[in-house]
Amino acid sequence: MLMKQPIVSVKDFSLRIGEKTIVRDLSFDVHPGEVFALLGANGSGKTSTIRSLLGIYKSTDGTLHVDGKRYTPEQARLVGYLPEERGLYTRSKVLDTMIYFGELKGLGRDEAREFSLSYLDRVGLADKANTKIKKLSGGQQQKVQLGVAIIGEPKLLILDEPTKGLDPVNRKLLLDIVDELQNKGAAVIYITHLMEEVERLADRLLILKDGKARAYGGIAEVKKKFKSKSLEDVFVSIYNEKSTEAKDV
Amino acid sequence: MSKLKTVIKHEYWTIVKQPSFWISMIATPLLIAVAFGLSYLGNAASEDRIEELAKDLKNVAIVDQSGLISHDIIQGNGLEISPSYQEEMLREQVINGETEALIVYPDTLAKDRKYSVYMSSDDLTKMGAVTGLADGMLKTSIFLGLGSADVIALAQNGAESQVTTYRDGEATAGLNEYVVPGLFIVIFYIVFLFSVGYMLTSVSEEKENRSMEMVLTYVKPRNLIVGKLLAVILVTLTQVVFFVLMAAVVYGIALLLGNTLTLPAGIDMQKIVFDPVTILFAAAFLVVGFLMFAGFMTATAAIAPSSKEANNFSTVFYVGAFVPFWFITMILTDPENPVTKFITYFPVTSPVVSLIRNTVGNMGTLETISALVVMTIFMVFSVWLAVRSFSLGALEYASAVKVRSLLKK
Repeated sequence: MLMKQPIVSVKDFSLRIGEKTIVRDLSFDVHPGEVFALLGANGSGKTSTIRSLLGIYKSTDGTLHVDGKRYTPEQARLVGYLPEERGLYTRSKVLDTMIYFGELKGLGRDEAREFSLSYLDRVGLADKANTKIKKLSGGQQQKVQLGVAIIGEPKLLILDEPTKGLDPVNRKLLLDIVDELQNKGAAVIYITHLMEEVERLADRLLILKDGKARAYGGIAEVKKKFKSKSLEDVFVSIYNEKSTEAKDV
Repeated sequence: MSKLKTVIKHEYWTIVKQPSFWISMIATPLLIAVAFGLSYLGNAASEDRIEELAKDLKNVAIVDQSGLISHDIIQGNGLEISPSYQEEMLREQVINGETEALIVYPDTLAKDRKYSVYMSSDDLTKMGAVTGLADGMLKTSIFLGLGSADVIALAQNGAESQVTTYRDGEATAGLNEYVVPGLFIVIFYIVFLFSVGYMLTSVSEEKENRSMEMVLTYVKPRNLIVGKLLAVILVTLTQVVFFVLMAAVVYGIALLLGNTLTLPAGIDMQKIVFDPVTILFAAAFLVVGFLMFAGFMTATAAIAPSSKEANNFSTVFYVGAFVPFWFITMILTDPENPVTKFITYFPVTSPVVSLIRNTVGNMGTLETISALVVMTIFMVFSVWLAVRSFSLGALEYASAVKVRSLLKK
């Protein structure tokens, strides 16, 4: 298979905040049309890596490129990001919020409105378009957050624990939407603690421990390397290793 | 540019669409007007009641050891003076409730300026009536020696001074010169109390509702902060227009009802001075001062981990904006005092002090320009600090941003 140009390219990336090293010598690529799982325990450096990729944090060393260059908000249309620490303007209406984010991404007002209405219809929130966000349930708010992330059909979608707190029906709906975007050629960086989601969705993965890559590659390849039948076993074996000294992968 | 416009539009409408924005704008002047009205009507009614009560007070005994009280005045009030030796007995009568009150003017009255009132009950209204009667009888007795009723009224109420001032041999407009630049002080406080807080709320809310990280993915911190600042300026302009319209409506209604606007301190609408230089400086102090406070508020919200802590930190700025009134006499009369100079340049006091001094004209051109330059430097610093703290603190949910990290490259 001919590998396309990566949409994300991270090389020798390190991040230090104050005296603490958060990420060390991290390198990975993400290609269009693939779901790339970024895994690791809490505090392993996943969110910091994403924040650095999106220019929110300034990297200490290395390069982080999105579509061949360092990401700036001028490329906002390329990216959809659903962070772990997420929320929306609680006093604003659903449709207004979605249009605002659409415009921030560079969409025209009409285009953002059209997309938003069709998305809200798809996820069963059409009647909530003019409702204030604070009046929605947690699950409904989460669907709006996903809508904000995917508005404009970005080429790179970064989802940090997107199904956290969702019921099985809405979880399936969300995963279907992710599938669709992937089929349209979008690359998805998927952060989760749920290994069954990774097995179902991901093409490749990277496991971080103490800011260092401990496993990187295709799902089958990683399982084979760790002589494990499941990803959960791979994860547990990495985190049960006594040595904190990271191994290069 | 289009993102900046998007941010401005969003921030502006987010504030202006809130019912609380309109409620506070309409309710504040309305409440002040109602409070003034009620207190005026209430006081007038109370005074009337006290006067009525005073007229009905017949069972009041008076002992005059000072010799200052006119017997005619006492009799005019339907009362009588009792001899000094009866004081003890009269006091007993008050205690027993046989006499309503006893007023004793002692022989030391002129020296100590004190007299005694004994009352059979602790009814506050009656107390007001008796003390009012006692005070009135004392004053009228003393003023009686002055002669005509006009002279007595003059001695009691004083006279209004009509001041004419000259500058370079020409008569000036006096207080009429202060009206327009003085309005900028009023506008500053309106803007400060209503609008500056929006920056604090806007940033701390974004932090609290965790929308910050999503926003920062699509817009640079600088654009976000500048957009918020410009939106707050637009909100402020909306408020100023609203208040001006409200004042115009009230004035129009007053005219329709056949009233004319009576301004205090002999200010004459026809003689109000519009000096372009003073107005220009006042406008500059207002805008720069406002932006400086807004910048500091934003920085505070970005540094603090929660809106509660941000509100606590911001108290410093609210206190700073009102501190100049503790020094008002010095600011008005002693412009060369080092303290006056210091608070003219000190960031949180400088906008109000400069606006006051610009109004009364005790600031030379050079000092006005230098105060404006220093304030502008602080304003630029505050906006820089706001952007810097925002970049570092926007995603800090657990602890405040350290000063050391703000200054690090």
